[in-house]
Amino acid sequence: MDLRAGDSWGMLACLCTVLWHLPAVPALNRTGDLGPGPSIQKTYDLTRYLEHQLRSLAGTYLNYLGPPFNEPDFNPPRLGAETLPRATVDLEVWRSLNDKLRLTQNYEAYSHLLCYLRGLNRQAATAELRRSLAHFCTSLQGLLGSIAGVMAALGYPLPQPLPGTEPTWTPGPAHSDFLQKMDDFWLLKELQTWLWRSAKDFNRLKKKMQPPAAAVTVHLGAHGF
Amino acid sequence: MAAPVPWACCAVLAAAAAVVYTQRHSPQEAPYVQYERLGSDVTLPCGTANWDAAVTWRVNGTDLAPDLLNGSELVLRGLELGHSGLYACFHRDSWHLRHQVLLHVGLPPREPVLSCRSNTYPKGFYCNWHLPTPTYIPNTFNVTVLHGSKIMVCEKDPALKNRCHIRYMHLFSTIKYKVSISVSNALGHNATAITFDEFTIVKPDPPENVVARPVPSNPRRLEVTWQTPSTWPDPESFPLKFFLRYRPLILDQWQHVELSDGTAHTITDAYAGKEYIIQVAAKDNEIGTWSDWSVAAHATPWTEEPRHLTTEAQAAETTTSTTSSLAPPPTTKICDPGELGSGGGPLAPFLVSVPVTLALAAAAATASNLLI
Repeated sequence: MDLRAGDSWGMLACLCTVLWHLPAVPALNRTGDLGPGPSIQKTYDLTRYLEHQLRSLAGTYLNYLGPPFNEPDFNPPRLGAETLPRATVDLEVWRSLNDKLRLTQNYEAYSHLLCYLRGLNRQAATAELRRSLAHFCTSLQGLLGSIAGVMAALGYPLPQPLPGTEPTWTPGPAHSDFLQKMDDFWLLKELQTWLWRSAKDFNRLKKKMQPPAAAVTVHLGAHGF
Repeated sequence: MAAPVPWACCAVLAAAAAVVYTQRHSPQEAPYVQYERLGSDVTLPCGTANWDAAVTWRVNGTDLAPDLLNGSELVLRGLELGHSGLYACFHRDSWHLRHQVLLHVGLPPREPVLSCRSNTYPKGFYCNWHLPTPTYIPNTFNVTVLHGSKIMVCEKDPALKNRCHIRYMHLFSTIKYKVSISVSNALGHNATAITFDEFTIVKPDPPENVVARPVPSNPRRLEVTWQTPSTWPDPESFPLKFFLRYRPLILDQWQHVELSDGTAHTITDAYAGKEYIIQVAAKDNEIGTWSDWSVAAHATPWTEEPRHLTTEAQAAETTTSTTSSLAPPPTTKICDPGELGSGGGPLAPFLVSVPVTLALAAAAATASNLLI
């Protein structure tokens, strides 16, 4: 593994097996089943909830990092943070993603992001921050579970880790304080962007799963009230 | 040989006249264009003429007073916009045109105002710019768009000259966009830049075709329908949510309803008989800001048709004549439903000829009659 500037995670063999080997999602009782629709809706709602939670968490964390990270105009070049899953995608490619790929990309992204967030938590200086981060990590785990549920309902296999990789987190050599903060900045930025993207992803899935809405018009009869 | 002589004479005269004409009216060279700052002083030399040459200056064909001259140079102090024009100096005796200056009085540009917005997400966004104060002289603008280190093309709007369009290549980018604009004219230069994330500039156009209709037989309802803005390219994948506001014209306070989907809503708490004003705004479900309010729709809830006028008038006459002949009845008697209900007669005549308290009693009576 090369030591790349600003890429602390390049040093981490960070595949958290606990995520990959999630307990089997309890088989939903399929009688009178509404399809994956409700669980997609739930996943969508979770992304909105997380995005809201992240806004206050990121604000607090960036203030903790201090300037320039907490300045609204801060616009650094994207150096390092190579291993962070990127939400950015070509418009046409995104539009044409099949359901399985769409869900897989989301699942893999959040698995990685959760892992990095946990690393962040370990280093966080204040108890307050650690509490907020821990809470967020729990919610993010919930999102992962929800995505897994949707994939199971649709019959898609969960992505598996590459064979032979160690599920350990090995701390790398001492890293410049500033560069570490840059990595944290990009992690939060990427997380926020992924949550926005997921909302759009799950919207798309929701639309595809829904039967065309019957035009229901309620005629209140002219009962002269 | 008499004929050639007058012809030759005419030709010479014509040529002479032509020379005089061209010398007088056609410029030695094209007018020199000069830009000067408002409020400043300027000295216009008469071309290459000596300082002590005898010249006359004119502006737009009007003579200028000699007290403005300093030798052969024209001195203008405290330039105003009205000083703009075509200045020409002539040799005083021969009226030979020596020099022309097209003077434009203006200002250097102040910092431009730049804003960008995406009303066609995820297709792209556009940027608008303008100067906060006019310069009165031509300005050129140059816009550059950077996405990280990548330069993006901003295509000029075919209709609006202070707008250009950028197409998104990638979505869900964590890298900010930086739009810079520089403006320059003959008197100066200025520039500004803005930086933003993809999501923050999303603002749809207002909903279109907002129509409000009364609902038959429902005096407190109004049915409102609208359409998603036609500029929003993909409402399926990027659904919009809507915000409706309505109030009767006579009141200032708005009622608000937020709707997460659908392009129709029924207001159920309208005041009967009052004209309403209704507007709708749109927003992407997750990102960006609300659109401006739509064009207002007006509607009045359904009201019952007034009964035929002649019957009403007749009934009123009979009722008033009967009541006047009676002695004022004791209160208890008036409240007796049996006494009043004259078999489904209209309410109006009672209200016209009877005090308010009695009118309420009459209303109760009629209501109870209908229920029976």
